[in-house]
Amino acid sequence: MKKLVFCILFYLLASSIAQARSTGCKEGNCDNGYGKWVYTDKTTYEGEWVATKKHGQGTETWPNGYIYKGEFKQSQWNGIGILFFPDGSTYEGEWANGFMNGEGTFTWSDGKQKKGIWKNGSLQE
Amino acid sequence: MEVSKNRFKTLSEPVKQFGGLVGIIILIFITFFVLNNIFGEGDELVAKMKIEEERIAEERKLNKLISSLPSGVLVSFDGTDNFKLSDELYEAVCKATKLIPQRAIMGANFLNFRAHEIYTINGNKIDETFVKWDDEKNKCFAGFVVSGNNVGVDETVKVSGEALSFLSTGIDTRVYFIKNF
Repeated sequence: MKKLVFCILFYLLASSIAQARSTGCKEGNCDNGYGKWVYTDKTTYEGEWVATKKHGQGTETWPNGYIYKGEFKQSQWNGIGILFFPDGSTYEGEWANGFMNGEGTFTWSDGKQKKGIWKNGSLQE
Repeated sequence: MEVSKNRFKTLSEPVKQFGGLVGIIILIFITFFVLNNIFGEGDELVAKMKIEEERIAEERKLNKLISSLPSGVLVSFDGTDNFKLSDELYEAVCKATKLIPQRAIMGANFLNFRAHEIYTINGNKIDETFVKWDDEKNKCFAGFVVSGNNVGVDETVKVSGEALSFLSTGIDTRVYFIKNF
């Protein structure tokens, strides 16, 4: 019984150490400079950092296939950037506060396009 | 009455015992018949049990199928390096999937700002998630419902779209991409 409890505790400790080692700043400088950060859900950010915030040019990759390449401000998608959806659709254009805001083009995976001014993820008619 | 009593007395012991046994059996049958009429659900219960048995059998079949799938991302469309689901597998995975992880919800919220706002205000709380197979369209639909108070107004927003990719963990499957545009 004692051996079993010890084994369980050892497994939990080992897995938490392994988890801690696989997340966080994996390459470069994630305080000020250029670095790669891996989150617990396997989301990654590789790009510029200012005062521990994602700031400047970078690429954020979600484990389910969303990829944002472009400008970040205060860790948010802000400025000019392109979002690749998992099915191949894209939005290329202006971003503010993590949403499509400003001029941009949405392209479906079949090539169909919607171009115009976007406000919080909606195309303004 | 007296005559019947005398006739009974004249019967041999084995006949009396047999008669008693038959009487007890009849009494047991009557008792169960009465109790079944009072408390039993009869055909309705049998029908319910059949449905439950079918559900368990279907679940076992789906679990067996899921454990045979490769771990990782499963997609229903072409153009990626991920495991491409056949039409049959796509339907089976859809029917077996119940979970929608946070990134899939956040992805769907890109096209629904109101849902994003409520989701964020409520600390990423979801009221309800659903994954359904549409027999008419032959497609898998998934979505979620968020509700809460947004700037003094109680709002409920339902986000739904086609579930186009899944994550297979080896134990279960999760919706990975909801195409709501």
